[in-house]
Amino acid sequence: MENIERISKIDKAKLSDEQYLPSLLEQAYTLGMLSDIDIERIQFECLAILSKQTERYNSGDSSSIRVETAQNILTSIMFTIGVWLKTFHIPDDAALAIKNSTMDDLYQKGRKRIDKMVKSVKILHSTILRKLVDSQNVFYHSTVVDGIKGFFKLYYPEFGAQEIHITADYPVYNPMKKLVGIEFIQEYLKNIYFENLFCSNFRADDIHHLLCGYDEHYQHLLFNIYEPVLAAAIGCVLADTDIQRLDITPSAVSHLNRLFARKSITEIEDTLIRAVTELKQYILLADNLERYIKVSLSLIAVEVKSAVVTQTLDKVFIVAKYPENDPKIYFSFGNKMDNEIYRKVVNEIMQSHTAKDKIDVIKEYVQSLADLEDILLDTELYPNEITEILKELSPAEIAALSKKYIQLEHIDFADLRESEKILYECLCGFIASLPKEQQVWIDKAVRALSEDTISC
Amino acid sequence: MGFELTLFNGKFNNALIQKQAVNEVLKQNDLTIRFGLVLTEKQAIELVETRYLALKDTGRIEFGGGVIDKIIYEFCDSHYISMHNYEETLHELIEMFYYYKNETLELISDDDLIKYMKKAFDGVCQGSLDLLSGRELDKLAHNLRCGYDPGYSDDITTDEEYDEDGEY
Repeated sequence: MENIERISKIDKAKLSDEQYLPSLLEQAYTLGMLSDIDIERIQFECLAILSKQTERYNSGDSSSIRVETAQNILTSIMFTIGVWLKTFHIPDDAALAIKNSTMDDLYQKGRKRIDKMVKSVKILHSTILRKLVDSQNVFYHSTVVDGIKGFFKLYYPEFGAQEIHITADYPVYNPMKKLVGIEFIQEYLKNIYFENLFCSNFRADDIHHLLCGYDEHYQHLLFNIYEPVLAAAIGCVLADTDIQRLDITPSAVSHLNRLFARKSITEIEDTLIRAVTELKQYILLADNLERYIKVSLSLIAVEVKSAVVTQTLDKVFIVAKYPENDPKIYFSFGNKMDNEIYRKVVNEIMQSHTAKDKIDVIKEYVQSLADLEDILLDTELYPNEITEILKELSPAEIAALSKKYIQLEHIDFADLRESEKILYECLCGFIASLPKEQQVWIDKAVRALSEDTISC
Repeated sequence: MGFELTLFNGKFNNALIQKQAVNEVLKQNDLTIRFGLVLTEKQAIELVETRYLALKDTGRIEFGGGVIDKIIYEFCDSHYISMHNYEETLHELIEMFYYYKNETLELISDDDLIKYMKKAFDGVCQGSLDLLSGRELDKLAHNLRCGYDPGYSDDITTDEEYDEDGEY
């Protein structure tokens, strides 16, 4: 009998997580639990709190306040009262508390609760910081470490309890309720905690290689790390490969493709749930983490279903990649000529009239790619002349120049000198004019070239 | 009355704010009655309306009695205010307050500005609102804007410039 829950007149589903107090008042009024007199009293009492808070905001210097600021403070007051009212499991009880208490009383209780929440969320954050996923993803670090620290610096529940301040760029996998203020940060960090807890069952190296399979440059991508790790772990269970190493192989993906081929989403989810139960034999899954994972499974099931249809299951169950095993090419730009000779060569090129004459001078004197690069930048050549010179170079030399210039585009193209920009455009145009196979070769060579190549 | 939650939709219900302010202003009668000063509800509504108009252009808002209460509290014991000029004086003081609050670039707190007004009104202005506004508050605003002490006077008309009859 103890398990029987009281029936609430107010439907919890109709209440907004973000605007809890206004939605609760509306429901309570509609159901006759609050009268017109109650509503007027509530609004008067909220105005009285606002009046007091305005004085505090102005440090007693002024009773008036900008309308926008007053609106923010009012939202903060409502949020704070809402935080307290959410502690009532049955909304009817919350409505009763509104009827029988003053708003100031509810506000003070809400403030105390927010202060407690801030303390507990700070503890949760420091726990998370001790068990971060050892990943080089910049968004993960900038949000989970720096972003949250920034939130605590800026959060001031007295006048802006509903503020989030940060953008929380790094996405968590499980859907979050629409929350604001400390409630949002608490929910966000709880999700991060569970995701970290799951990932902590695997070696950082294995996660790194798995994510390289997702994208070699995953460090700069905004995506959730936990999802591919969870999918890979489940895939390993189902394909009977090494779970600890998240060892999804191409043949494992084919096996999974056959396994899910004719299954509905519900059947896929059931299969995934069974796999997680089996997963518990190999890795540590606390009950609350298992509950979190089960929510994730319904999302993964939908992804699996659509991946089976589009034959892209390898995007869900990712095959690890080892970029360090890729062949590396080393290319030297060579030694530079004596400065005196270089000046003479530059003068001679600048005094030559035709592109052919200029190329002849270059062929006669320039022996290294380092010198050629300087010549291309210093002799004020026309784009067509640069293109003619590029035609004389081998594909390997073109690849070496591309490595230096085309790769720079993402970082500091705007900072390049004018002559460097011209060389960059000529290189792009020249490569685009080459046959397709040669372009592919150069592209591969650029990627295989060691970073050391760009130094002379 | 229908279900109104304007306040909770992030928009202020002016009628509600006014009603709350009027209630608080009328409570001041308990204090001022001993000086023979009493406001009717209609007069209180008009005072709140004056405040609303004075604040409207500055994009600001005030809740409760606010400055009206403070002005009443400070000025109710003035010898220059009696029942026959009470309401009119309050209107002018309220307008004057917000005007000079703006003119002083809010460098002075509400309480200090009201105290300064009261001291000047009862002192050098001898109850003249024109002198208070046109001379004393103007001087205060000028001093604060220029970074001088509020009481600083750059008036160079010293005793030497007057003749024996007190004329130039």
